[in-house]
Amino acid sequence: MPYRFFPHTGDAAVELEASDEPGLRAAGVAALRELLVGDSPVASESERRISPSGHDPAERLIHFLREVLYLYDAERFVPAEASPGGVRGEPFQAGRHRAIREVKAVTYHGVEVRRSEDGTLRASVVFDL
Amino acid sequence: MATAPRLERIDAYRWRVPKEGGMRTHGLIFADEGLIQDLEGDQAVQQVANVAHLPGIIGPAIAMPDIHWGYGFPIGGVAGFDEAEGVVSPGGVGYDINCGVRLLATPLSITEARPRLAALMDALYRTIPSGVGASRSDVTLQRRELEAVLRDGARWTVEHGFGVPADLEAIEANGTLEGADPGAVSDRAKERGKSQLGTVGSGNHFVEIGYVAETYDAAAAARLGLEPGRLTVFIHSGSRGLGYQVCDDSLETMVRASGKYGITLPDRQLCCAPLGSPEARHYWGAMNAAANFAFANRQLMAHYARRALDQVFGRDAAERTRLVYDVCHNIAKMERHEVGGEPRRVCVHRKGATRAFPPGHAELAPQFRDLGQPVLIPGDMGRYSYVLLGTEGAYRETFGSTCHGAGRRLSRHQAKKLARPRNITRELEAQGVLVRAATRDTIDEEMPEAYKDVSRVVNVVHAAGIGRKVAQLKPVGVVKG
Repeated sequence: MPYRFFPHTGDAAVELEASDEPGLRAAGVAALRELLVGDSPVASESERRISPSGHDPAERLIHFLREVLYLYDAERFVPAEASPGGVRGEPFQAGRHRAIREVKAVTYHGVEVRRSEDGTLRASVVFDL
Repeated sequence: MATAPRLERIDAYRWRVPKEGGMRTHGLIFADEGLIQDLEGDQAVQQVANVAHLPGIIGPAIAMPDIHWGYGFPIGGVAGFDEAEGVVSPGGVGYDINCGVRLLATPLSITEARPRLAALMDALYRTIPSGVGASRSDVTLQRRELEAVLRDGARWTVEHGFGVPADLEAIEANGTLEGADPGAVSDRAKERGKSQLGTVGSGNHFVEIGYVAETYDAAAAARLGLEPGRLTVFIHSGSRGLGYQVCDDSLETMVRASGKYGITLPDRQLCCAPLGSPEARHYWGAMNAAANFAFANRQLMAHYARRALDQVFGRDAAERTRLVYDVCHNIAKMERHEVGGEPRRVCVHRKGATRAFPPGHAELAPQFRDLGQPVLIPGDMGRYSYVLLGTEGAYRETFGSTCHGAGRRLSRHQAKKLARPRNITRELEAQGVLVRAATRDTIDEEMPEAYKDVSRVVNVVHAAGIGRKVAQLKPVGVVKG
């Protein structure tokens, strides 16, 4: 799995792993989806455009995930997966999706994107719950 | 991540984080030995040290005994900044701007209420929407009304029939913070907030029915309407999606501002701007507007709690239910404090901490002037909560601040794992606490064992002199999101 939650007393912290920035975004969407709706099935029915912006990979990652969270919170668009143009998913349906918890925000706390010797990118992200 | 900073014991309830590296001052943590041991393995102490790096900090970077690992500031963090040289940091306020609590005292005793408690819990669950993305269809605000809420806070709510004027005197800042600028709140934030006024939300937010189980100062408790056995309503919520979005919107600007003003940060979440800068002024206007939304939110929920009491116990019970107090937990405010014997205006950040002004403070309403400010400390949903009063000690040592709650002990993941083979709702009901909740997930994550025993936290602030115990409340019913 390209993401791993690690213990955080108050909120949720996840380590993402991928070979490039789009891969990190994909792992971030998968982690966020798990926090929001657990293992509920989510179809890649439609796409919402997101252009990640920021001065470095960490800022771009956080910006992208914040946009995905906003779509869920304001438009009830459940993310399924990251796509080349943004994020794919479907509208929230009460019988199909289990809203597990409220994720207030994607924080900048301790965020950095590191490249290891084998070329893998790693980032840790804290979600405010 | 950096190695954990050193801790030096000052006395039984105080620990110093020595000034090292880029720290501009030392850290000061209020805790006993056991609470300090609870911090092992997380980054809360590092976060105290990080706050001490910020420009213009006055006195130490402070943490209350309910300190735990947050983002930017630790939860339980307090810091004061000089008006001229200091900063404001959204990470020192948090996403849930003016998350806070309010306590109502009903005229009922637990003995007379108990036979109809289940009906009361059902009525509360029906009248106050809870859970992820909870919204109200009966109070959806048009843009102009939303802007009035952002400007006027709880005052707008009372003027529109949701509560009585006397409620306003029992709210921090009378339920309206000055300096709110509805124009500084983004359309996104307004969109997220427009149908969430009067909703409790999810996570650790709640509406709780309890009773006064014990008093430590019977006269003060009676003055607050908290005689032994009295039925109470405790509400914990904040500015909902509107506040989260205000914080989120400000962070990108503040990251840029930190670079622009040459501020070196140990953690990007501490991004900030000098208090007089345009970036700070914009955030200040939006933050106060979100705080006003939160005051109005809790006021509206209190109105619906009174309506639930009316449905179950009749109009007299509802009309005689009065607000004990309402306090912010997450806020930055300009306040007057004495620093080195001189009066100074200080920007006090409280993130997971409560204002605790002493007797005689000019900002307190006349009925609290000789008592000190009521301070409300919720515990977990199985044990107890406390009512305290503000003290001179807090005013001298912590910019008039004290703790805000129990503080988590287990991560949500750990709590769910522990709760999985059990039925927490049934366990609580066996202890005499009725639970109404949208999902099992929240109940499991919020199980009593997930929190520290709040009495340990309260006993530290009482013994250290930064709060004074007045009463203990025990829960008998809780609505969770």
